[in-house]
Amino acid sequence: MTEAVRIEELCFSHVASGLPTLDQVTLSIPPGEALALIGPSGAGKTTLLTLLDGRLRAWRGRVSVLGDALDPDRAPTRARRADTGFIFQDFALVERASVLRNVLNGRLGRMRPLRALLGRPSKDDLAVARAALADCGIVDLAERRVDSLSGGQRQRVAIARCLSQEPRLILADEPVSNLDPARAAEILSLLTEAARRRGATTVFSSHQPDLARRFARRIVGMRNGRIVFDTPTAELTEGATARLYDDANAAVQPRLKAVP
Amino acid sequence: MESRGWGGFATGGLVAGAVLWSLATTDVELSRLFSAGPRIGDFLARMFPPDPSVMTEIINGSAETLRIAILGTLGAVLLSGPLGVFASETMAPPVVHRPVRTALALIRAIPLILVAMLMVGAVGLGPLPGIIAVAIHATGMLAKFYAEAIDGVARGPIAALESAGAGPLARLRYAIWPQMAPVIARDTIFRFELNLRESLILGIVGAGGIGFYIQTYVRSFQYEKAASVTLAVIAMVLAIEAFNVALRRRFS
Repeated sequence: MTEAVRIEELCFSHVASGLPTLDQVTLSIPPGEALALIGPSGAGKTTLLTLLDGRLRAWRGRVSVLGDALDPDRAPTRARRADTGFIFQDFALVERASVLRNVLNGRLGRMRPLRALLGRPSKDDLAVARAALADCGIVDLAERRVDSLSGGQRQRVAIARCLSQEPRLILADEPVSNLDPARAAEILSLLTEAARRRGATTVFSSHQPDLARRFARRIVGMRNGRIVFDTPTAELTEGATARLYDDANAAVQPRLKAVP
Repeated sequence: MESRGWGGFATGGLVAGAVLWSLATTDVELSRLFSAGPRIGDFLARMFPPDPSVMTEIINGSAETLRIAILGTLGAVLLSGPLGVFASETMAPPVVHRPVRTALALIRAIPLILVAMLMVGAVGLGPLPGIIAVAIHATGMLAKFYAEAIDGVARGPIAALESAGAGPLARLRYAIWPQMAPVIARDTIFRFELNLRESLILGIVGAGGIGFYIQTYVRSFQYEKAASVTLAVIAMVLAIEAFNVALRRRFS
């Protein structure tokens, strides 16, 4: 079976965009994996996920997603983009539209262009969207406008939109960083569970190592655009996590101590 | 601190100088102010009772003003569509949007009544110069509003739809348009209200509408009739405002 993601010697550096760089990243992820990317901010987690989603250009190295090589010069085909679902840190929902409309937006890559533009989802599209709403526990919010929802509810809508794409690979960029701890665990369990039932591969980034331990089978630590460790969750030591964040704090610490 | 003190002193001096210069060089006869009361009383008395016989003129004039405002707004919307795109920071490069924005600011700086006088000179009397004047004048504001509506669109939802595999047209329809449409509708209604108010006086320079009758009746000392038309104008402005308050609530 081909890997869900295969990355070899990937480098990316684009100072003007303000995105953290990637430096010699090599990583492969088998299908069905639940993998967490952890590391301090600026480590390159978002850059890596955005790149895998086919939304970054001008990188070097070899990257293939779901068996197809990504091209650093052009966006993937619509079908390929639909196969790869992305969950945004700030939800990226259309605020004035209804929950159902936002979830149906996830179907746009699967619909024929004319049907998509006429706004006539097929029975299948509606069925998939309803199933996604049900999986996220928001069936009764379907007609509500997104701008009337709480943060946790919004992230459920964003996940439902992603699920309605019927993605084979789910990339989630800090999906719970805007939520309180209880809500965060709830959302991550919902996401990983829905992905597992669908047999989708999941990669999520987090700056909370404890959440990564609970919901991922494998954890990759990143810092300064490099992979520092890559280990099954069961074998991850406290020391490794501590070191990952330690140096990042080290620059701050002396100044803290200097305060009388 | 010292420089700031001097700055305040200089500003104060400048303002005082401007006021003194105006007072000293304007031909103000204060005595006329004291005799103004009786004269205004006389004027108002002559306006009373308003003459209702001009109903036909009021209806015709109001209808024409309304037509000028509607067609002028339509013209402004058509001009502002493309100009709004050219004036937008996200859709047009600086070499395009900077000069377009400057041009729009210049248009905004010219009062409607001046544009109308120019147009009367160009195309003759009647509603046509009024319509053209309103269209040009309103574009200065509306195109700027449209550009701001375009620039105010959040990028996140567009990226999300791109990621989901939506084509460019689908992204326009489901991510960009739903964010822009309510803003554009609100701004257009607001501009229509202004157009209607401002076009009430266009008749004074011969550019059509109800203002023509106020002008005619005052000039020919038929103050009772002028009073009726003025009351009609006030009633129209109040009606427009009530209508717009109700309409805008829908687009908030």
